[in-house]
Amino acid sequence: MSGPGTAGNGSLIDRRYVIGLLLRLCVNFAGGVGLLFVILYFALSRPLPGDYAGVYLALRNLSPFLRPILAISVLVYALLACGSTSALCVYILHKVAGPLYRMELVLDQYRSGGATRTVSFRNGDQLQALAPAFNQWIGTLRRDRHRWLATMADAERHCLQDEATCRAEMEAALRRVAEDMERYR
Amino acid sequence: MRQPGLKPPPSRIRYVSPRFQGPAVLAFTTIIVAGGAIFWKLVDAEFQRVFLHAAIRGHYTFGSAFDIVRDLLVSHLAGLFIGVLLAGSALVLFLVAATRHGIGKAVASLRASADRDLSTPTGACPIGEFERFGEKIDAARSDTLVSVRKLRSEAASLAAGGISPEEFRLRWDELKQRIRGIAP
Repeated sequence: MSGPGTAGNGSLIDRRYVIGLLLRLCVNFAGGVGLLFVILYFALSRPLPGDYAGVYLALRNLSPFLRPILAISVLVYALLACGSTSALCVYILHKVAGPLYRMELVLDQYRSGGATRTVSFRNGDQLQALAPAFNQWIGTLRRDRHRWLATMADAERHCLQDEATCRAEMEAALRRVAEDMERYR
Repeated sequence: MRQPGLKPPPSRIRYVSPRFQGPAVLAFTTIIVAGGAIFWKLVDAEFQRVFLHAAIRGHYTFGSAFDIVRDLLVSHLAGLFIGVLLAGSALVLFLVAATRHGIGKAVASLRASADRDLSTPTGACPIGEFERFGEKIDAARSDTLVSVRKLRSEAASLAAGGISPEEFRLRWDELKQRIRGIAP
């Protein structure tokens, strides 16, 4: 079996998709940090009095409130950044999760004995190499199945002749089919 | 190949997989929360020190408390942004590498199956969703191999002879029917 390196992994996830994800994350994080800056700006921008005592008192009085102000600001930042990043992750990663889910459905369908249709993914979906690889496998199975059935059908044609010839041809066909099936390992 | 235990899958297609997107979301959330906690810890200590110093020294030239800590705040916010971005980017690159590795193995396994190798394990990377996906592929390949081996054994047994014509005809038709069940 060839290793993953030979599977054309470069095409599994498009470089533009990765760059797009990184850019969106960058904008998202920048937005979060910008929001934190705005919150702290409004929290700390009250004008200071002009005299020494006033400045001293204002800054000393600010100290007890500083920790809660920072805590709430960071909490708001964390909630908003986490929320938007989560939404972004779900939105962007569905281009990977979608094909995986689709393939799982097809594999379940195949195992349950249902009709297996050709797999194709949506435009922009990642992991595109999965679909042709699966279709290639199913294609090989179908070609082999047709060949085995054709071999058996050929043998059945001899049944128009005498019984012994028919049986001999059928047994020969079965040997060819069994030999062909031996290639599966 | 038909397994009565397996129900046919629902036709509804959904593109949100909690098993795949959930851990990624959790990892990004952890990075953001960790970044915020570190920022809070550092800025809190620095602000307390700077405001105490400013209160004693009397900063008449500053219009507000924000003016006193502006540079400090901007540098810490820049640090927070760069830290979270670098950690997030590293996570994205790790996810991409893990996906390429895990799905690459699955693709290689399917291509090997097209060459009739159904027994070599997929061996996808041991990251939850990819490992599970690899196991699903292996299960499908294994089912196929078992079916083909059963068919081959039946064909060889029929070809060996020593069966009455009636029984031979019956088993011949049954074998054809079972072959038709391969990748319908």
